[in-house]
Amino acid sequence: MSATDATTGHLPDLTTPRARLLLVLADDELVSGHRASHWTGVAPSLEEDLAFSTIAQDEINHADVWYQVLLGEDHTDVRAGVDALGLGREPDAYLHAIVCERPPTDFAFSLARHWAYDRFDVVRLAALAESSDAAIAAVARKLLHEERYHLEHADHWFGRLANGGDEPRQRLHDALARVLPEALGLFEPFEGEDAAVDAGLLPAPHAELRVRWAEIVGGMLDEAGLGDVLPAADATAPVEAAGGRLGRHSADFTDDVWPEMTALYRAHPGSRW
Amino acid sequence: MTDAATQVDADEVRRAVEGVADPELPAVTIGMLGMVHHLEVAPDGTVHIELLPTFSGCPATEMIERDVVTAVHALDGVGEVRVRFRFDPAWTPDRIDATGRERLREFGIAPPGGAVASPRPEGRPTLPLAIGPASDPRPCPYCDSDNTVRESSFGPTPCRDLRFCEQCQQPFEAFKTF
Repeated sequence: MSATDATTGHLPDLTTPRARLLLVLADDELVSGHRASHWTGVAPSLEEDLAFSTIAQDEINHADVWYQVLLGEDHTDVRAGVDALGLGREPDAYLHAIVCERPPTDFAFSLARHWAYDRFDVVRLAALAESSDAAIAAVARKLLHEERYHLEHADHWFGRLANGGDEPRQRLHDALARVLPEALGLFEPFEGEDAAVDAGLLPAPHAELRVRWAEIVGGMLDEAGLGDVLPAADATAPVEAAGGRLGRHSADFTDDVWPEMTALYRAHPGSRW
Repeated sequence: MTDAATQVDADEVRRAVEGVADPELPAVTIGMLGMVHHLEVAPDGTVHIELLPTFSGCPATEMIERDVVTAVHALDGVGEVRVRFRFDPAWTPDRIDATGRERLREFGIAPPGGAVASPRPEGRPTLPLAIGPASDPRPCPYCDSDNTVRESSFGPTPCRDLRFCEQCQQPFEAFKTF
């Protein structure tokens, strides 16, 4: 079903630079949260089960909040509108980076992505805290407080695996070598990004956020003796992980996350829960 | 007919709103938690209430909204009740009042801020999954010992983490700081 179905109430124009920015922010969180939830019940320890389940809940709710900002304060039916945005779009209308949709794979891969993504998320939220758009800036400042716990968890495991002996260190290294090139897809511009930057909605373009991110993760990798996995400054995401910001996605999304995530919504249009 | 607003007592509305219990922490009210930001009774009897969510993703917010609407609707002269959650200003734990802190402690949840224990001494064994010294050490809510560790940053709700008291060997929860 389409996002303009009668059950969803009025949806705003999703093609403006502001709308696209908010979809990028929300979709990254939604899909990351959905993948984090795949550790619920099967994480290696009860504490990690709680951690990934909580992170999933946080990220999906952060997406919810960004969708609410997109709908605006005067929207007549916020819950229906959020569901329409989060669950009612076709796969090619989602603007998250492809790295977010990759399956959990193993615990090392999930931790490597968690670290790379949350290090990025905090850099972007810090920039958005200075947005010219009051609603965006307020939410970014609120979410920054909460991301501290995700970052602490991600950094803890980064250090623990890096210093945990030969096998954990090797597995972290191999996972980072797969994750970091694909993570460059996070920094691709979305359609209309120049206008969003000019208007101060996004105070720094994704290309600039990449420089800030690389400085932080590069420093941590060097300190851990894993500096060889940091992609070169002029590297781009491999072709199979590029284009997410323009709505191009892999089968990991179109045939896996998307059908699973939207199954109930598509089966029972207009349901409330 | 008299104007509706003359029949609605704004102080009574505030007491009703502030008295709503947190569904996940029934020992404390949203007033004690400092979640009530603004409250206004319009001339037509419509009540506008602005609340600050603790965590943005708190699943209890919808229940809180429903409970607030129910509590205010029960008052004389009230027309429509509109609840809005806002993020600016951001809720912080220093909004929890003294009663709320004490109730949390009685409930077995170490409140944020207040008395802060000294950093844990070196050489104490940690549980295998302990994430090490907490950046915000808390005294045990049961025996008041400072000899506690944080076992996990993630607990039963987004706003609580898991601690352990080495003194009385009791696990407890702490309300997160930000």
